[in-house]
Amino acid sequence: MTRATPALRAIPNPGVRADVPLISFDEVGLDFAPRRIIHRLTFSIAPGEIVSVVGPSGCGKTTLLRLVTGLVQPTRGSVRREGRAIDGPAGDVAIVFQDYANALLPWRTVAGNVSLALEASAMSPAQRKVRIDELLGKVGLAAHANKFPRQLSGGMQQRLQIARCLAQEPTILLMDEPFGALDAMTRQSLQDEMLRLVRETRTTVLFITHDLEEAIYLSDRIIALRANPGEQSSLAHTFQVDLPRPRDQLATREEPEFLRLRRQAFDYLLEPQA
Amino acid sequence: MSHSPGRWQGIVLPLLALVAAEAALRVRPTQSDVIAAPTAILRAFLRACADATLLQATAQTLLATGGGLLIGAGGGLVAGVLLGLSRPAAARASLLVELLRPLPSVALIPVALLVFGFGYRLEIAVIGFAVFFPMLLLATAAVRAVPQRLVEVSVILRLSAWSRVRKVMLPAALPRLFVALRLCVGIALVVAVTTEIASNPQGLGFALLSAQQSLAPDLMLAILLWIGVLGWGINNLLLQLEQRWFNAQLDKE
Amino acid sequence: MFANLRRLHAVGAVAVVLAFIGLWALVARFEWVSPVFLPGPGATWSALVDGLRDGDLAALLGQTLMRMTYGWGVAAIVGIALGALIGTSPRLRAWVQPTLEFMRPLPASAIMPVAIALMGLSPAMVLFVIAFGAVWPVLLATIHGFATIEPRLVEVGRVMRISRPGFIWKVGLPHALPDMLGGLRLSLTVSLILAIVAEMLASQDGLGTAVMLAARSFRSADLFAGVVLLGLIGLVTNFLLGLAERRLLRWQHP
Repeated sequence: MTRATPALRAIPNPGVRADVPLISFDEVGLDFAPRRIIHRLTFSIAPGEIVSVVGPSGCGKTTLLRLVTGLVQPTRGSVRREGRAIDGPAGDVAIVFQDYANALLPWRTVAGNVSLALEASAMSPAQRKVRIDELLGKVGLAAHANKFPRQLSGGMQQRLQIARCLAQEPTILLMDEPFGALDAMTRQSLQDEMLRLVRETRTTVLFITHDLEEAIYLSDRIIALRANPGEQSSLAHTFQVDLPRPRDQLATREEPEFLRLRRQAFDYLLEPQA
Repeated sequence: MSHSPGRWQGIVLPLLALVAAEAALRVRPTQSDVIAAPTAILRAFLRACADATLLQATAQTLLATGGGLLIGAGGGLVAGVLLGLSRPAAARASLLVELLRPLPSVALIPVALLVFGFGYRLEIAVIGFAVFFPMLLLATAAVRAVPQRLVEVSVILRLSAWSRVRKVMLPAALPRLFVALRLCVGIALVVAVTTEIASNPQGLGFALLSAQQSLAPDLMLAILLWIGVLGWGINNLLLQLEQRWFNAQLDKE
Repeated sequence: MFANLRRLHAVGAVAVVLAFIGLWALVARFEWVSPVFLPGPGATWSALVDGLRDGDLAALLGQTLMRMTYGWGVAAIVGIALGALIGTSPRLRAWVQPTLEFMRPLPASAIMPVAIALMGLSPAMVLFVIAFGAVWPVLLATIHGFATIEPRLVEVGRVMRISRPGFIWKVGLPHALPDMLGGLRLSLTVSLILAIVAEMLASQDGLGTAVMLAARSFRSADLFAGVVLLGLIGLVTNFLLGLAERRLLRWQHP
């Protein structure tokens, strides 16, 4: 892989328009009695942004995603999309789960699984087939269209889930530690694939991960949550990530800015939480 | 899945049905061969307990069940463990097993009747057949399910074949064998009652039939419910034991 | 190499069966067990062939088969429909499940005296008993199949905004299918058993009555012929259902 030449040191994610927040959290609180999971969470996401959410177990990362999908309602405050409260799943919000095996239909083929997302639309079967082939091509599963999920490797199953999510043509893509269960090499290649796919479509991404380096590598901004917020805000810290795009597994990770952020993030996490 | 809201709801329906039946039959008492008010059923039940007829019938059924289990499940256990330990043997026996297994045990009632006439031996023979094959298959599976890793360890530790079986394989298979036993007890009880209804003039099944034939619906329903409670109770008891002894070892469904 | 091993075992398996029949023939020939009780394989075979060809064994077989199938069919429809309804509604399940669980260990044949009191010794009674007894395995299995849908899949369905009937059809049903087929298999076994017992009790035309009569008249060859036929019914129906299962659940072993 070649190092990034000066010409690539360009603008941050060109899809970002910072004028209208796509998603906004306003003093959001969530309790699963008797535990308080999220408290006074306020932040917003601009269209086209890629935002990572990091934090210790129990800080509410997964719950955050569910709030955006509308599967869960906040106990306090409001979660809005373009100003309007989210009251249920919207057709263009897709979520990629960590336990990919459980999220796929084992009795349908690869093509059949992608088809599930398209069957509610007005497409004819022929149109559907074209779209499925296109999507499978994008994630590199075209050769396995007639296999069953149990015949695929973990990485391939996760790619299948991604393909199915892309079939929803999502404006917002939510990912819940999608690459956590995969080996390092597969993880890296899927990271780059994901970046490439959302760049094409200017999709907004909210991404949960345990891996700080992954968070820095992928995002424009990192949100760190704290567990057991008590009376404080769940939002512990926000890190801006000013690294050039397109990102490169070797070059970007050697950037001084990357290393600085890495140091900052690790230091922050090792500090005793106030 | 839904524990907290559901605990009390389960009892409501049967309770409601009981109350409704009682009320209906008090308002319009009918002379029927089939229906009886719940309180009448209760009274019949208590009477049968008091004059020891119910106890006797229960004892007869349980005795036959036990005898059948001893022979059938015992034989099935031994055969099953042996087949589980030796794959070639299991492969060779498989065809015979598959041919004999689907025979419904009740089809053997006439055969046993011919050979033994009425009585305990008839029932024990039928029950024995009924539980032999299920036990055999489950025991084989239980032995096969012992993790390969454990077997390898016992070989490396240079245990003799007999020691291997006694100290490693059987203890490892024990949880599943107990589950198999529980299932076979259930089968045995059902077959016992069925045999008594179909032919053998003893036990709870026969008592049930007699009650029907003497047009005593309250007694008939009382015995029916008692059979249900008995089956449920025995299964529950074994389940508790299973959970207490083997909970840590069995993987949860 | 493995193909050879498999063939060897298949030959061995057949040899075991032949040895079994041989042992049977030996015991019968030397009358180690009285021929009144144990006819030889040859005698059984003759009785079987004669009964089917000249006698009414074929008709009786048909009767038993029909009863079993009708009862099973009714049980299947009721069990699957009710099972889907109850299985997909946690609220309904909370009300109904404990009662159903209590019914599970109840011997289906114990219903027979009640049914006789209700309907007398009639064909209707027989059908009712078979259907009633056979409904429980398939009902309970179907409920289980629908109730244990992976919660993740439920979320996926909600995020994709699949309609409720659409979800039941596309996700619920395929998910419940393995359980349903298992329940149907068990139901068929129960149907056969109840058909036989009901025939024995209610003296309806069928194999059950025929073998009972043969036993009472000490006609051991006819008895064994009937028993063999009953075993065959069990064997063939099980085999056919097994085939159907493998076909429908191809995705489990691609």
